[in-house]
Amino acid sequence: MDNTAADTLIRTHLDFLRRHAPFDRMEADALRFLGERLATAFYPAESEILMPGDGAPNFFYIVYRGKVQARQTGGVAVTEYSTLTLGPGEGFPIGAISAGRPSTNGYLAVEDSYCFQLPAADFLKLQELSPSFQLFCTRYIASLLNQSREQLQVQFSQRAAEQQTMTTPLSGLISKSPVAVAPGLATRAALERMVEAGVGCLAVAGDDGKPVGVLTQSDILKRIVLPGFDLTRPIADVMTAPPHTLKANASAYDAALEMATHGVRHILVVDAEDTLKGVISERDLFALQRIGLRQIRSGIESAADVQALQRASRDIRQLALNLLAQGIGAEQLTQFISALNDALTRRIIELNLDRHDLYGVEYAWLAFGSEGRHEQTLSTDQDNGIIYVLPEWADKEPLKLRLLEFARDVNNDLAACGFPLCEGNIMASNPDLCLTFDEWREKFGSWIREPHPEALLNATIFFDYRVLYGDEKLAHTLRHWLLSMTGGTPAFLKAMAANALDVSPPLGKIRDFVTDDDPRHPGTIDLKKFGARLFVDAARVLSLRAGVEATSTAQRLRQAGSRIGMPAEELSAMADGFHFIQLLRLRHQHLDTDHGSSGDNRVKPDDLNELDRRILKEAFRQARKIQLRLKLDYQI
Amino acid sequence: MNWLSRLLPGSGPALDPALRSTLEAIAAIPTPDLSRSHYETRYVVVNTETGPMDGGGQRLLAVGAVAINKGLLHPGDAFQARLGSAPAGAMAALLKFIAKAPVVVYNAPFNQGTLERAFENNLGSIPPLDWLDLMVLMPSLYPERIAGQARMDAWLGAFGIERLDHRDALLEALAVAQLHQVALARAKQQGLGSPRELLDAQSSRKWLRGS
Repeated sequence: MDNTAADTLIRTHLDFLRRHAPFDRMEADALRFLGERLATAFYPAESEILMPGDGAPNFFYIVYRGKVQARQTGGVAVTEYSTLTLGPGEGFPIGAISAGRPSTNGYLAVEDSYCFQLPAADFLKLQELSPSFQLFCTRYIASLLNQSREQLQVQFSQRAAEQQTMTTPLSGLISKSPVAVAPGLATRAALERMVEAGVGCLAVAGDDGKPVGVLTQSDILKRIVLPGFDLTRPIADVMTAPPHTLKANASAYDAALEMATHGVRHILVVDAEDTLKGVISERDLFALQRIGLRQIRSGIESAADVQALQRASRDIRQLALNLLAQGIGAEQLTQFISALNDALTRRIIELNLDRHDLYGVEYAWLAFGSEGRHEQTLSTDQDNGIIYVLPEWADKEPLKLRLLEFARDVNNDLAACGFPLCEGNIMASNPDLCLTFDEWREKFGSWIREPHPEALLNATIFFDYRVLYGDEKLAHTLRHWLLSMTGGTPAFLKAMAANALDVSPPLGKIRDFVTDDDPRHPGTIDLKKFGARLFVDAARVLSLRAGVEATSTAQRLRQAGSRIGMPAEELSAMADGFHFIQLLRLRHQHLDTDHGSSGDNRVKPDDLNELDRRILKEAFRQARKIQLRLKLDYQI
Repeated sequence: MNWLSRLLPGSGPALDPALRSTLEAIAAIPTPDLSRSHYETRYVVVNTETGPMDGGGQRLLAVGAVAINKGLLHPGDAFQARLGSAPAGAMAALLKFIAKAPVVVYNAPFNQGTLERAFENNLGSIPPLDWLDLMVLMPSLYPERIAGQARMDAWLGAFGIERLDHRDALLEALAVAQLHQVALARAKQQGLGSPRELLDAQSSRKWLRGS
């Protein structure tokens, strides 16, 4: 082989690449690596370059000359576009090749085109070599993440519709344009129209669009088949006239009332000019429920007893499903759940304060763990405690007993409202967790001074504390003290970092998911243990090191990360990765709850759709990235 | 061994031992199966750089060659040499790079002629290579684009192929190689799926147009 000849040809590649983003900003070594490995292929117009059926792509392609079109294949739209044209310098398929899965798009040359191709393994290697290229691919995949959220929205829109309230205007319930015929139409033709459109109710409307009658499926037997009605006669002779109509701004409740009053199953919906807009059936109204954020909130605040709060707790779950269906992000969703659960807990505490006199006692009810981080999912058990100040005039034992009795009642009421008692007894009614300010400080201090495994485990639960009720100042002072301690104890931080690195993201060497080898759960990944926790633990170490008071993982990442000089876009990508995993957990728990089994965190990657699998893999790669940062920082 | 024997000392200029062993190595390369598809075949696209000869005509100054292997053009599989003071070594190296693959040129009367003369003058014999001439094949493969024989520029323009430096034999070979990729795509569509079929078609007057 002649090296100067190869160099000349590679230089032509480099000259081309340098004219196109993201290669124009690529590091010289990485660009050379790429230029050496690109082979050129020719695709005549209308030929296929890559199809979903080809399996995992063997090559990453860069259009050199010509035009390539990405086309959606299959019934379900995964991305927001149905076709997308790629020109010189543009690469594909970034998502599929990063994930090692078949492409969801088909790629076709729309004119005579030359493409560079890079072997898949070299594409992955290039990302390692080139931070700028990796960032480019990450951003691209992040844009897929948004699309996945939209897809999620579609998936749940069916349920979302069912969950709208009875106050929803009928205009919001009409799902398709009405099937209507003229009154003069022969009955046979009208019935054919019904069959063709697959509707149970046929509206009859004049030329002006105003409904004059209606014929339903149940009328056919009684009025047409049994009496032997002549099918050549006009539909007007056999329809129900006048039809029951309601204005489009009437509520679902009005429609239900109208149906019940007149014993009909269909209502015609008309606009202000009485023009036919749609048909509402009894079935459209069946599943409507009465759940909304404000209703739940006021329901909680006015609840007089635990029974009322139990209802509110069920409503919170329903609302969470609605919000998930509306495509809300995991960060906002968990915050909503968290806010409502906080309100619920506060109300339970208030109700119990009627029976337990704690007047004059300085104390606060603390939430630990995921609740402390505002990251509760729907199958979280309770983790709580009490911090109080012992007044000089008081004896400790009687006061503590009063607090413990109060705590026991609160714990039981919480359990009644769907927050299971903590198996590890991390509850305020545990005498070890109902402590004075000085006792908590002593406890925290001993874990920091002697970071043995149990101390570290405790730190991961208790250092994420947050005040749910009571004296905020007390907790704030403790936080300040805690951060100054951890920031000044590198040995503790290193031990915490090592602890956080105990579990690696379940990405295999051959870039597939590593699933659980537990025979009871074949092919699953525990998204709590092998997903969310990786981010949570790493973010905690960063926050304790950088003195960040926030307890939520995303905020810790953003605040602590920027204090130690990590680029904002990198931090956002990490937070996105974390939220995506949380979203999958929530979705999984919802679906399971619907099927009657208890929600867990075990997700089968094979059951996920193509796009989610890709994004999940990217999320794990973000976890690996943040772990790498800890490894480097603490030389582990 | 047939053509190598013609390259042995006595039948032409004396060959030094290193060159002789190179030629023996080339002779030992298995002959490729030309009935396999284009996309299982290695083609070598060759282009020449020439200058005027003392007694008139053109003299070979340099060669550039690019392989199309399994339909792909890979920068590592390329060759260039100036004949300079060791023309025999350069020609032997070119033969070694070709490795008995079918050779593609644009304008065979000129390029094939020049190369064969250089082989004969420097190695003492003309190696029996399979030659494909895109100047002849293209009008038959793409009659709707350009009818009849045309200059290379016209074909490169028709397919938007960039001509980076027409004085550089290697970069010219690169352009011809991209044209050959275009030719292979259409040949396959026309049922000429292998180098053997393309060679046969080239020698069939019935198939050829405009020649």
